[in-house]
Amino acid sequence: MPSDIPPPIVPADSAMSMAKVELGRRLFYDPDLSVNGTLSCAGCHEQKRGFADGNTMRPGVHGDPGRRNVPGLANVAWRRRLTAADPSLTTLEAQMLVPLLGDNPVELGTRGKEAELFRRLGNDACYRRMFARAFPEVKGHISLDTISHAIAAFERTMIALNSPFDRHGRGEIGAISTEARRGVALFAARGCVACHAGRDFTDDDYHRLEKNMGRDRGLIEKTGRPEDEDRFRTPCLRNVAVTGPWWHDGSAPTLEDAIWRHVMGLAQDEMAPLRAFLESLTDRTFLTDPRLAMPDRACGRKL
Amino acid sequence: MALCAMLMLWPASAAMEEPVACSVPAELAQPFLSWRDPIALQAASTRKGTAKANLSAGQAAALTLLPTPEVAYVLRPEKPGGSISFGGLARFVVPTAAVWRVALGSGVWVDVVKDGKAQPSVAHGHGPQCSGIRKMVDYELQPGSYTLQISANGEDRLTVLVTPLQ
Repeated sequence: MPSDIPPPIVPADSAMSMAKVELGRRLFYDPDLSVNGTLSCAGCHEQKRGFADGNTMRPGVHGDPGRRNVPGLANVAWRRRLTAADPSLTTLEAQMLVPLLGDNPVELGTRGKEAELFRRLGNDACYRRMFARAFPEVKGHISLDTISHAIAAFERTMIALNSPFDRHGRGEIGAISTEARRGVALFAARGCVACHAGRDFTDDDYHRLEKNMGRDRGLIEKTGRPEDEDRFRTPCLRNVAVTGPWWHDGSAPTLEDAIWRHVMGLAQDEMAPLRAFLESLTDRTFLTDPRLAMPDRACGRKL
Repeated sequence: MALCAMLMLWPASAAMEEPVACSVPAELAQPFLSWRDPIALQAASTRKGTAKANLSAGQAAALTLLPTPEVAYVLRPEKPGGSISFGGLARFVVPTAAVWRVALGSGVWVDVVKDGKAQPSVAHGHGPQCSGIRKMVDYELQPGSYTLQISANGEDRLTVLVTPLQ
């Protein structure tokens, strides 16, 4: 990580360690976290897509339809708010329990089967060793707490700060094209930066861009406040070119469609530079970093 | 019309958003006519074992799968199943170069492998509503023998059909 970037805030009870990250990485890719062994976190969060998904929405283990498009996870450690419209989720540890145990929609489907999950993981001697190394203070106890803390630790290593745009910002000549540089200027001039602000191009706040006709009511579902109808969190734009389809419900099949739906009076010839700029936010090293990939070994043995 | 519907790949999520209550099964056309009348076939646990797990073009098979820990995959699947899931291997032969479709009764992960390499898919999507085909994946294949790897199925049974597209 570049030295001029402050590290993310880590919850006091969730200190980072290599052992936690290693365990969290294995758990992230392990479909045994799902009730029937068919779906892992990585089943929906694919590294090559910036840890997003290529589908509009993703059904859960029982085929229940998804409700929202899978977000990418680049730089998720710095997000103050997690998911599209739930302000109560402010830590990765808490958020991780939603796909694991949630029922609106059912994703991994483990609610009510937690003891079976702990038993399943505990049957694996390597997992027992990994939990013991990662959580010596609880003698490697396998629980929702330790599982979620380990996965959160791994997610905090998903750092994408080496895109052409980043290298351009660090003074690398020719890192981005002339067209992309024009797109940078347009992005500011058209007011995109009002919401897509900061290093990750999100203000982590909720905004209404269009009426959703009651299909997914957005923030109001959690707050009950009428003014929160159709408000959704500004998505991070890191790797945005590879995280499609776009929009909170995946209803924008192309990046151009997603841009037009912001209704900002773009001229036709402004689309190409904006797109070039957004493509310059793709960190190819992040998409292929073997430290973030599915592990092929654990405890010195092939998985 | 029915043929068009069968050959069209629905976007992967098109039928995932709103479950459809199916009072009447969708009409099936060639080459999927056998989908509801599959032959029974035991999936193999090893590549060598696929000699007895042959899939014929256009003939649906009701595969009996194995517990995932018992399957020795040729390649580690990109999305492997967990210890309580089911998987297996089968074989099919491509006589002439064509786009082949693998139709599946669940959202299971599949790899088509030749010479130790997974063939890239060229399209994927959902089967027609009310057809019972949950997922379809297309591959551009050259003549030869291919191993179909099935991983991360929630049940020990899976209907599969492989066919060239005309």
